[in-house]
Amino acid sequence: MPSLNRRAFATGSFANLALATMLHGDAQATPALQTLHHPPKARRVIQLFMGGAASHLDLWDHKPMLEKHHGEPSDFGEHVEAFQNGLGPWMKSPFKFSPHGETGKMISEVVEPLGKCIDDLAFVHNMVGKTGVHSQATYLQATGFQRPGFPGMGSWVSYALGAINENLPTFVVLPDHRGFASNGPKNWGAGFLPASSQGTAIFPQRENPIEDLLPKSDFVTPQSDEQGLRLLTELNRAHQQQRISDSRLESRIRSYELAAKMQLSAPAALDLSEESPHTLKMYGLDRAGRTYPDQINADEEVEYFGRKCLIARRLIERGVRFVQIWSGNDNSFPRRNWDSHEDISRDHGPLARGMAVGTAALIQDLKQRGLLKDTIVLWTTEFGRMPSTQGSKGRDHNPYVFTNWMCGGGIKPGVTYGPSDQWGYKPLDRNRPTQVYDIHATILHLLGIQHERLTVRHNGIDRRLTDVHGNLIPEIIG
Amino acid sequence: MTRRINLLITAVFLGAWSQACPAQSAKFDQIASILGKHCLHCHNDIDQEGDFSLETEDSLIESGYVHPGDAENSELLHVISVVDGASPSMPKNGEPLTSEDVNLIAAWIDAGAEWPKGFSISDAVENFDWWSFQPVRKPEPPGIQSDWARTPIDLFITAKHRELGLTHSPMADRRTLIRRLTYDLTGLPPTPAETEAFIQDSSDQAYENLVDRLLDSRHYGEHWARHWLDVVKYADTCGYDKDKLRPNAWPYRDYVIRSFNDDKTYARFVKEQIAGDAMFPDEADGILGLGFLASGPWDFIGHVEVPETKLDGKVARNLDRDEMVSNTLNTFCSVTVQCARCHNHKFDPFTQEHYYSLQALFAAVDRADRPYDLDPQVEQQRSELQASLKKAQQQLKKLDEQISEAGGPNLVGLDKEIQTLSAKAGVQKSAAFGYHSSIASSPDTTKWVEINLGRPVLIDQVILHAAHDEFGDIGAGFGFPSRYQIELGSNSDDQETWRTLYKSPSDEPNPGLTPVVLKTGGQTIRTIRVTATKLAERRNDYIMALAEVEVIDSKGNNVAADATVRALDSIEAPVRWGKTNLVDSDWARSADPKSEQRLSKIQRERNEIWMRINTPERQQERKILDERIAKLKQEIDKLPQGRMVYAAATEFKPQGNFKPTGGKPRPIFVLHRGEIQQPRGAADPGLLPLSADEAWQISSNSEAERRSKLAEWLTRRDHPLVWRSIVNRIWQYHFGEGIVSTPNDFGRMGALPTHPKLLDWLAAEFRDGGQSFKQLHRLIVTSSVYRQASGHHDQNAAVDNDNRYLWRMNRRRLTAEEIRDSILSASGRLNLDMGGPGFYLFELEKTAHSPHYEYHKFDPTDPKSHRRSIYRFIVRSQPDPYMTTLDCADSSQSTPKRLETLTSLQALSLLNNRFNLEMSKQFSRRIKDHSDDQRDQISYAFQLVTARKPNAFELDHLNDYANTHGLENLCRVLFNLSEFVFID
Repeated sequence: MPSLNRRAFATGSFANLALATMLHGDAQATPALQTLHHPPKARRVIQLFMGGAASHLDLWDHKPMLEKHHGEPSDFGEHVEAFQNGLGPWMKSPFKFSPHGETGKMISEVVEPLGKCIDDLAFVHNMVGKTGVHSQATYLQATGFQRPGFPGMGSWVSYALGAINENLPTFVVLPDHRGFASNGPKNWGAGFLPASSQGTAIFPQRENPIEDLLPKSDFVTPQSDEQGLRLLTELNRAHQQQRISDSRLESRIRSYELAAKMQLSAPAALDLSEESPHTLKMYGLDRAGRTYPDQINADEEVEYFGRKCLIARRLIERGVRFVQIWSGNDNSFPRRNWDSHEDISRDHGPLARGMAVGTAALIQDLKQRGLLKDTIVLWTTEFGRMPSTQGSKGRDHNPYVFTNWMCGGGIKPGVTYGPSDQWGYKPLDRNRPTQVYDIHATILHLLGIQHERLTVRHNGIDRRLTDVHGNLIPEIIG
Repeated sequence: MTRRINLLITAVFLGAWSQACPAQSAKFDQIASILGKHCLHCHNDIDQEGDFSLETEDSLIESGYVHPGDAENSELLHVISVVDGASPSMPKNGEPLTSEDVNLIAAWIDAGAEWPKGFSISDAVENFDWWSFQPVRKPEPPGIQSDWARTPIDLFITAKHRELGLTHSPMADRRTLIRRLTYDLTGLPPTPAETEAFIQDSSDQAYENLVDRLLDSRHYGEHWARHWLDVVKYADTCGYDKDKLRPNAWPYRDYVIRSFNDDKTYARFVKEQIAGDAMFPDEADGILGLGFLASGPWDFIGHVEVPETKLDGKVARNLDRDEMVSNTLNTFCSVTVQCARCHNHKFDPFTQEHYYSLQALFAAVDRADRPYDLDPQVEQQRSELQASLKKAQQQLKKLDEQISEAGGPNLVGLDKEIQTLSAKAGVQKSAAFGYHSSIASSPDTTKWVEINLGRPVLIDQVILHAAHDEFGDIGAGFGFPSRYQIELGSNSDDQETWRTLYKSPSDEPNPGLTPVVLKTGGQTIRTIRVTATKLAERRNDYIMALAEVEVIDSKGNNVAADATVRALDSIEAPVRWGKTNLVDSDWARSADPKSEQRLSKIQRERNEIWMRINTPERQQERKILDERIAKLKQEIDKLPQGRMVYAAATEFKPQGNFKPTGGKPRPIFVLHRGEIQQPRGAADPGLLPLSADEAWQISSNSEAERRSKLAEWLTRRDHPLVWRSIVNRIWQYHFGEGIVSTPNDFGRMGALPTHPKLLDWLAAEFRDGGQSFKQLHRLIVTSSVYRQASGHHDQNAAVDNDNRYLWRMNRRRLTAEEIRDSILSASGRLNLDMGGPGFYLFELEKTAHSPHYEYHKFDPTDPKSHRRSIYRFIVRSQPDPYMTTLDCADSSQSTPKRLETLTSLQALSLLNNRFNLEMSKQFSRRIKDHSDDQRDQISYAFQLVTARKPNAFELDHLNDYANTHGLENLCRVLFNLSEFVFID
């Protein structure tokens, strides 16, 4: 093996260093983890990320006390540091809650479409963050660290497990088409992992939905492309044969073969025309060509999010390892994200409706195709929102408690774990909150990975997704 | 050795324990030492491996592993003891405890396992017994005979070869050498003419002359600056959430390029980047170098929107200092000191105390734009004007104090109540805030807004509603002028004769959300104009804003609703701001009318008091002071500013909550677990100890002095880390792998040097031989080891497959920048202009809030972008996808060594990226101009990308392809050759 192929690390008596070895020369498929730590229950992950911080109180975490004390001055019984000035009176949700499924889980009317699969979900209502600053909070939930430079969860999973289907990217990201959430592509960057483990953003509405997938030029024809590749392989092969035992040169030839396959596979994966009218309807995509008003509205959100969900299913079906879907763009004006400082009803209403229709369709669709049993779906966000008002209809940031839910892939269905307190301000048991590390550890566990053992040495530190933290959450593991 | 007897652990003293129970300390110290050395590495409060910790008394008891008074039944003893001849189960990854240690622990448990109150054991390493802390002593090169060796470097290498049974490789051919060397020193390909000339050069000094020519090239600095900028995380945006532009970052990038080209001595280069402003105050480079401390990411929200008093604000500033500390220590010392932010460094002898002492060095510094080429005379003038301004502002403050004093406790009480009520009253508002004038730099600017009712109307009253905007934490009454007048007119717009309805007698208190009602006494009017004669302060600037103007007729109807509005000027930023918002019957109201009523009442009371105490004399005094302040500010603004660089700064223009320290260091505390909420003792400024008995704290309170001391320390002749660190980096960029393969970590988690003596020889040679980078390059690239071919050798590979001992040269892939620059160069499009603001490879949109960097909309034919990649505008959070796919450095982290990957996405980029396709066209045009014969054209093109002529086989195939598909397609293929992207 040539010198640059493998990094030699310090001599040391640390048993877990084997994983730290990085193979650079190989095209993307080679998993760093040659053998799983234990039999996996899941093979794939879909992460739904709500940019701007979605309110637990208006979607999943029903608080009768807020209904009872609505409008009364809020009293948290302690000093509260609000991000802005959101310590107005207690505020009930503008949305009605009702029970769903056999579990009778109370969810809000704007996520009511998820009622149909509510018994599949496992809720964690005592998530705590570390900061109310969007950027740091987004990094924390996406990468496990509060600052830039660390690989996203999808990158770690891709790095560890490699591709299921080499003809598609291992880790695909479907950003909000209106713009990136906080930190943009750094949320799915490879950090110090090889570039092959970075998230590949797909913009279905663009001419080239994957950057550089196809040549957009007036001189490249299918024939010139195909014969050019053949010529290239021939010349590169001759070059390689004069330089024996440099596996990188072989890998490079192979990377062009894979690229050609990806050119065929990726457009097919994004082509929704072969979906049945029934499926399109389920995802809210049965009204092609319709136009929308300028104001944020539920129909438009349904179409946008539904399309991403359907593409996610098609990608998962074709062997993409990790799909990340974003809802909500940057904090520009007018607001198109979940950061409802001014008006919960105005933004959360349509965004939640869109998210719920697409997500419910995705879960049911995965289930009926037998994919849900080994695909984890994770719903997450930056942090929660306060039970008190900001202005009269909005809510300020609440990093002190928020909700995640998961389903599929070895998650115990129909569970509600870790309640928040009566106001939804902090965890009920403040000594036993759930942190992102625990979510990440649990997901890695279900994928067959012990989170402490997936490490890469970077600038002198054995880095891992869960930093020095992370406990499994046995209550939600099926 | 004398300073601390107990070398293996540090006991962090928390309470008043040592005075209280001195007798216990000796014994407990031993126990703490044993636990600290053997157990704490895993079983500390943070890691809690096995779910327990032995760090504090509480955690020890909670662990359940110790029953005080009963060693025999204590699990702890069982796991560390030899049981039935089997080795103990703990420590898992270390040497077992000696029987003496086990006995001591048993005795201690039996005696009740007493633990001094408040004591916590730490696992600090105090052992400097590690190669990188040993002094650099220049070794003699091995005294061996070698026909191969040209330089002392070769003697070190060949000695190792002989020791391991390796043989060196033959010298590479001239074509390979010139391609390797030209890329290595300048990042660009050799031209066919240069290649040919070198191959034909029969002089003995042909190679040496080539080296000199390349080191003299201005492109040398451009290429080597890129290496440096990788390490220091340079980018042209801030990163994090908004990823705002840093339009003045580039002067630092140009400074680095110039420093390499000028062959600045290393000590000088280091000093300028840490404390240039203090050490070389009269030179621009002294300030430009400070771009180093500012080069990493910076959280806009955490600094500008969140005040330093809030936890989130403190966290952001703590992380910001961490960025500066780690950038400095990683870059110059190859020490991973940032590991000691949350706990003592687990492997190297650095404690949290050391770490926070380093933070204290940067406690007064922020990242901001600062001028770098100032005229001393202008600066003298500036400081005089600023002193006068300060004096005037103090006088004004004194006047305010006098007035409040005159108001007595009544006024204080009212102000307090107003504050409480305002918070309680809350606000109800829509997204349409109102009318907003353009921004003025002085309050004495006049602004007006006018409503035309369209017909004469008999009116009864005029009601002004102030706006509400949280911008700058202002809220209610946002932009409501301090003085204003209301005029009524009844003619057509053109020749209005105005009647004054109201004129502020003096500065007025802000009405907040309380409507300002003015009775007209029944006048027939057509137009109404509100003129601000003294603007409201916003954030160091001045505006007029109003939510609504109601004009009520005799029947009580608002006749101004949807009327026509004109204004002197207006910020039209729908939905929030716009002229028409002034008459949209929508204004910010209080959410709690009861509180609002009370508020309004007491505000009136307050106004009355205010009018009484704000006597004409005082008003006159204020007027004079206001005028003086405005004039001074104007004069200061008029002074030439100097050009700006984004750098470490203690003085800068404030922005929201982000304010300069003025050089006053912020207090720094040792943070338990790195958490802001858990400050322990204050951390005084200090440097890292380099040996066990070194005094590391420094006494200095001046912020500039702190950094100067750090700069002096970093360039100490006897520094064991600095000189080794830099020569190792240079070596690595030449060979692909450092003598130490972990260039940012020379600690115990880093790699060991493959050639420790060579490293020391190079370090000493560099340090004592003029600290010239160019001399060091010359030394390395003229060696025989560097001139080797890169071919395979079975026997050598069997011994050293990874080529750690350099029995051949390493083949390497071109970097992202080299690929892009070479494509431009081959196409004949490369513009070699140097320096200046970075060029964009994206369309920039929506800069007002979170800029969008739209790479897919960029036109690659734009000639402005056809410059060397070092000059591209580097976006941190939204990095260039093409360059990222080609493994360019991630500017969010220090990249001492690029990863080298080969992926299918990379293949797609080189085949289909619009830049590659466009350059294929340009390339084909260039070769058509070169010759009329297609085979000549192809041969020339092949030389431009590989530095050699194609052989007959290659030429035939390429020609056949070009016959069918044309030269553009052919050029596209050439950019994808492995021989193009790899250097032998």
